[in-house]
Amino acid sequence: MSTTAATTADMGALDGLAQRLVAAFTRSGYERVEPAIIQPADLFLDVVGEALRARTYVFTDPDGAELCLRPDLTVPTCRLHLERHSDPGTPARYCYSASAFRYQPAGVDRVHPREFHQAGIESFAAPDREGDDAAVLALIVAALSEAGLGKLEIRIGDLGLFAALIQALPMPERWRTRLKHQFWRPEAFRAELLRLTSGATQATGLPHDLIGRIDPADPAGAEAMVLEHLDRAGCELIGTRKLAEIAARLIDEAADLREEPLPAQTAALIESYVAVKAPARAAVDRLAQLGRSRGVDLSAGLDAFARRLDRIEAAGIDIAGAAFSAEFGRDLEYYTGFVFEIIAPGLDSRSPVAGGGRYDGLLSEVWTPRPVPAVGASIHTERLLAALQEAAP
Amino acid sequence: MNGKLILALPSKGRLMEQCNAALAGAGLSVVRNGPARGYKGEIEGWPGIEVNFVSSSEIAQLLRTGAAHLGITGEDLIRESIADAEERVRFVAPLGFGFADVVVAVPACWLDVQRMADLEQMSLLFRRVHERRVRVATKYMNLTRCFFAQAGVTGYRIVESLGATEGAPAAGLAELIVDITTTGATLKANGLKVLDDGVILKSQANLVASLAAGWSPGLASIKAQIAARFAGAAKGAAR
Repeated sequence: MSTTAATTADMGALDGLAQRLVAAFTRSGYERVEPAIIQPADLFLDVVGEALRARTYVFTDPDGAELCLRPDLTVPTCRLHLERHSDPGTPARYCYSASAFRYQPAGVDRVHPREFHQAGIESFAAPDREGDDAAVLALIVAALSEAGLGKLEIRIGDLGLFAALIQALPMPERWRTRLKHQFWRPEAFRAELLRLTSGATQATGLPHDLIGRIDPADPAGAEAMVLEHLDRAGCELIGTRKLAEIAARLIDEAADLREEPLPAQTAALIESYVAVKAPARAAVDRLAQLGRSRGVDLSAGLDAFARRLDRIEAAGIDIAGAAFSAEFGRDLEYYTGFVFEIIAPGLDSRSPVAGGGRYDGLLSEVWTPRPVPAVGASIHTERLLAALQEAAP
Repeated sequence: MNGKLILALPSKGRLMEQCNAALAGAGLSVVRNGPARGYKGEIEGWPGIEVNFVSSSEIAQLLRTGAAHLGITGEDLIRESIADAEERVRFVAPLGFGFADVVVAVPACWLDVQRMADLEQMSLLFRRVHERRVRVATKYMNLTRCFFAQAGVTGYRIVESLGATEGAPAAGLAELIVDITTTGATLKANGLKVLDDGVILKSQANLVASLAAGWSPGLASIKAQIAARFAGAAKGAAR
């Protein structure tokens, strides 16, 4: 069998699947849309960064514009939503079945085609976040089962819980920002924790004498000191970064120098949190206990998590036993809350047949002044077909 | 192919001159066939070798696909254009010329950035202030991406730069660069400094063998003889 082009029979089967999935979506009130295949590369690279560029087909057109073949449908659907509504906070629900394109570094095969189909849904500005999370998961599961996939395994995570944990722990706001930022990179995250607990700003190569003299409460004084330091070194101020930005970072360093290091117990709590893996319902108890044992109140985040589980169960899905991992979603930078993946029997667990989550920060990161609640998910149609063929020998 | 060993050499510039000198030092004399600017040649006394003169960036491509058996080019160009270099080619012998370090360089006035980790920290603030990602100008897109990923730096964007990269920060086209340097003088003259842990690769010209090319026992034996010549020349030079 060819691994690069679908056979005629497969193409027919894919079309049929796509139609069934979209029918399920539109029946539930999601409007079908068809965003453009060719997208401005800029946008994707600003939103998702260079890691995805390595997997995106980027090209330059004769006008010199940098364009790309869309690597997913979420960002194009966001653009479409913004084009339609001058107020991005207008609630709207969209669905699509369309091709997306990704370079496959480990080679092309049946479940990793470079040109594949995503059938998915995106919901913007729904007021009840947990309810909408549940609705999106429920609809994806229903669509899969309507397409013939009976058995499936659900994995979930919640990036909002991590944010809630960090918020509940006493520490300077700039440390919270840093830890949340580094959460996506396990090694850098561990290094940051170590740095904060050891109070080690030594051996970083930064100008210690200067940092030692800076008073964090006096930004203007800090700027003057930086300027004087540069003058003495015969160093000109070049480039787009302003003096104030350089000084601001050194002020942070100076403030860190005067700060009590993060207690080792706090770091240990963060590490134990990240390591939690349990069935969804059991995880709620485990996390609550973990918080209590260190006198930290995590109830706000955990209540939302439990409420979401209730709503998913009310939609008829057995979620209590779904595998929860506190780390899950760590490689998907734009998600901000609930995340899930669906694994089909017979397919590698690293090749989920569907996945999605909440991305409340995405629109405001690029376009809108305020965050817009957003949650979505998509089914990888080629993988669904492969899973169905596995199941029916 | 005609059963000959295809040797790809740089067709022009300083690298070509140094390459010819290195070959001569190893007792291998290259002659161009036909008109003076011909792109084919041979090595005197080695009828089993056919020389192709191509641009140095193309040499990596020829080795990757197996269209050439051997080639001489910089390690930086090989590693930039062949993502899985270890599986596609073998570095047979470093040749002692074409030295260049591929480095991460930032404006020297960035007193707050001395290491890769600082870069990630500053990119956070930069994005808040400028509402876009920090830009890295380079022609080494793949090397940059791999190195930054290993260093845990993600808050950046690459802008492709095909020449005079070191001028990009002062011109406001990028905030920092990844480029080659030999003495660091050009970087310094442009107000830039290399990060303490910002050396991506210490490169030099190499004799490189393709793993994708067809290697008959005869061709493998020619390769071994050439490699031995270079090893002998290197020993002679060291003496």
